[in-house]
Amino acid sequence: MSDYASSFGTLFLVCAVAAVGAAPAIAAPTADGPVEGIAFVQNLGGIEEYRLTGNGLAILLVPDHSAPVVTFQVTYRVGSRNEVTGTTGATHILEHMMFKGSEAYSDAKGNSVKQYLERVGGEYNASTSVDRTNYFATLGAKDLEGYIAIEADRMRRLLLREGDRQAEMTVVRNEYERGKNDPDNLLIEDVTAAAYVALPYHHPTIGWLSDIEHVPIEKLRAFYDTFYWPNNATVTVVGDFDTRTTLQWLKQYYGVYPQSPAPIPEIYTQEPAQTGERRVLVKRPGELGSVVIAHKVPNGRDVDQPALDVLDAILSSGKSARLYRALVDSGLALSAAAGTDLHRDLSLHTLYAQLAEGATHAQVEQALLAEITKIQTHGVTAAEVLRVKQQYIAADAYRRDGTAGAAAEINEWIAVGDWTLYVRFPQLVAAVTPEDVQRVARKYFAPDEATVGWFVPENPEQPSP
Amino acid sequence: MNSRSLALFLSLCLCALPVAAQMAKRAARAPVQGIDLVTYHTDVKDVVVLVGAFPAGDAFAGVGNAAIPTLTGMMLERGTSTQDQFAIAQQLEDVGAEITYAVGPQSLQVRAKCLKKDLALVIGIIAAELRTPALTAAEFDKARQQLVGMLESSLQSTDARSQEAFARAVFPPGSPNRPHTLEELLAAAKSANVDQLRAFHAAYYGPAHFTLVLAGDVAMNETAELVGRAFAGWSGGQAYLDGPATAATAVAAGHVAAPAGGEIRIPLADKTSVSVLLGQATNLRDRDPDGLALHVGTAILGEGFTSRLMSTVRDREGLTYGIGATVFDDTLTPGAWEIEATFAPSLLPKGVASMRRELQHWWQDGVTEAELALRKQGLIGAYFVGLSTTTGLADRILLTIQRGYDLDWLTTYPVSVEALTAPAINAAVKAHLDPKTMVLVEAGSL
Repeated sequence: MSDYASSFGTLFLVCAVAAVGAAPAIAAPTADGPVEGIAFVQNLGGIEEYRLTGNGLAILLVPDHSAPVVTFQVTYRVGSRNEVTGTTGATHILEHMMFKGSEAYSDAKGNSVKQYLERVGGEYNASTSVDRTNYFATLGAKDLEGYIAIEADRMRRLLLREGDRQAEMTVVRNEYERGKNDPDNLLIEDVTAAAYVALPYHHPTIGWLSDIEHVPIEKLRAFYDTFYWPNNATVTVVGDFDTRTTLQWLKQYYGVYPQSPAPIPEIYTQEPAQTGERRVLVKRPGELGSVVIAHKVPNGRDVDQPALDVLDAILSSGKSARLYRALVDSGLALSAAAGTDLHRDLSLHTLYAQLAEGATHAQVEQALLAEITKIQTHGVTAAEVLRVKQQYIAADAYRRDGTAGAAAEINEWIAVGDWTLYVRFPQLVAAVTPEDVQRVARKYFAPDEATVGWFVPENPEQPSP
Repeated sequence: MNSRSLALFLSLCLCALPVAAQMAKRAARAPVQGIDLVTYHTDVKDVVVLVGAFPAGDAFAGVGNAAIPTLTGMMLERGTSTQDQFAIAQQLEDVGAEITYAVGPQSLQVRAKCLKKDLALVIGIIAAELRTPALTAAEFDKARQQLVGMLESSLQSTDARSQEAFARAVFPPGSPNRPHTLEELLAAAKSANVDQLRAFHAAYYGPAHFTLVLAGDVAMNETAELVGRAFAGWSGGQAYLDGPATAATAVAAGHVAAPAGGEIRIPLADKTSVSVLLGQATNLRDRDPDGLALHVGTAILGEGFTSRLMSTVRDREGLTYGIGATVFDDTLTPGAWEIEATFAPSLLPKGVASMRRELQHWWQDGVTEAELALRKQGLIGAYFVGLSTTTGLADRILLTIQRGYDLDWLTTYPVSVEALTAPAINAAVKAHLDPKTMVLVEAGSL
């Protein structure tokens, strides 16, 4: 069942997102677009970027006429990183409240976003993460305008009623409770909280329970009025649309808003250097233990991210991967993975393994670290790097199958601050050398900068760690 | 399928007949080496998606070791008679191709994705893995360890425990949909041996009743040649099982210990959310005369945010993050019907009461023509959105064949939905469901 899912907890998506390069300055609009009031910015890899000149709304158009279907997405550049004590989880609650009606579209009027999209058979959802919130639907091309109108209305005309907040609070609380049923989620949450001391990535996107229960509607309103503006949003359209008509609709429905009256607040907090290993222990009823080893790595736009991505693929992509051979095939672990949760600020790299019967936490932790040490000492082979590059070539073809996947991937690059990496990242991976992989392994995986977490099931049959 | 052809398909689907010709241009079906091969050409460049299934699922364990079908499926990726698993993995990963296997109640399912240029490699590996898996003792021990670990993890899952208890309550012994308990599977996995796998493979793996669907940048002639070459000389296989009639729930029929009030409670320590299931067997297949009516009526009750359950129990009352209703396991055999939800332990009584209230109202008073009109439009729209990717298309074709339809059903489905009436749906609901006999399962910290 689809839902307004939060995307927190997707730490181990290998090769899904990773990034590169110092963020290029967003190019200034340089030419008139096909519609007055919308400026053409650039065309990169077949993606056309425009800007609504009156309010700064960013627009990305990705034509694909293979089926009469279109995915429309609005990404707001606000996430749980923009929250503080007392409002943790507010971004996510606001995401839920966005389905409670706006001035022109609501359940009471019979034309709410849910009613419209389910009437036309759209596949829709929304999600909140640390750096962004997105709303999206895949629907028949003929139904696009109606959805744009609703999305535009709720950008600035949300009802945000206290009665809706009260009912939705318990809904969100059950979402929180469902997540806590899984001990691995708890472990990742605790490791993340220990790894980040100053940056707001410290707290989970869904928030602390007490904040979920008590955040007042006034603070949600203030949050909405601070961040939900066209100049803090990017519209992405993928699929079977007519460019000129779509731009006219975007101007018609979004052009009625000014840009935000105040600048969108920037995060100026920086994470202090970590000077010693941190350890976390989670104990809950369970059957199988697990180990997470986290290291902070650069932001998602950093030049080292392609090499880190190749490193992760060599470690954990498929049966040829080193972690599979060293931990799973050897019988130490049931599964093992490496991946980076890319962020606008410092990202978090994690190694993970679920213990096999008879293995101890210490053995598995050492085995995970040993694979990093091997790469630091001996590097990787050219064949391993080439294999990853070949996988990128195939993935590039796969993402042209359907519209929703491309929109979702672009969304994550918008979140880290540079959508052009959707196009450029595969090219940057193609330039990675074995030496690059060894260099980043040496640079970012110092023992004193690790945060290690163990989930220890409270089960007498498990070997003690 | 390009925009023009699918647009034409969309416009024609409600007036039916010319569509078959349109589909015929894209779909091709032929027996190849005993395999029912289907290809569907779309306009996506270079990408091919493959899905296939044949009867070798858990139900075929019969009275033998319950873990053998799953363990056999797990061993397919662990090498063949001529290549070890790492050599195979390297070939696939070198070209970014993927092959996976999954064992369900009745089927062994294979899925693959690759570039067009690598299709021969992928089909060749699938054929070798299905026909001549290595089934070595050393790899068997590793697969068994993994299965034991997965089953042990499930012991603490509120979802897994509630689903197991529910299926055992509604499907009587002899039904292919009736699972073993997790404890039984654990014991079976621990006592299994590789000779049992070899015997199972010999008895159940073969082209009979094997349906293989490829969608994307494919053509039948080339694909048939590849499949014919890779599977030449393969024989064997069994038919799908047909379950017994399940007019009453297993609880009501006395097949499981009857809990007081039709309720099964599974206590699990330190769980912050309770998984709840409420439902019964339907004695109905998807293709039976009332099958579609029950599906559509159920969608009105519990599919999507505008369904009755979500709009009341979640949106209005705020009692749950998720609640829905579904008909399931009715593709090959008579299936079951359920409402699924999660509640905080403190809200459980209130949540279950709301769930029952909405069920009773829906069952007693039926759906309205207005609700049905909206739902028809949504279901038909969603159907076509689902066909816009090669994966969605391939899955739909396989499901169509497994349900016992021919490929024309792809075009007549929207017409059938459009023809439904509220009285027909309400009659089907009354005929096949009865809230009084439904089983309630709750798993969590109760």
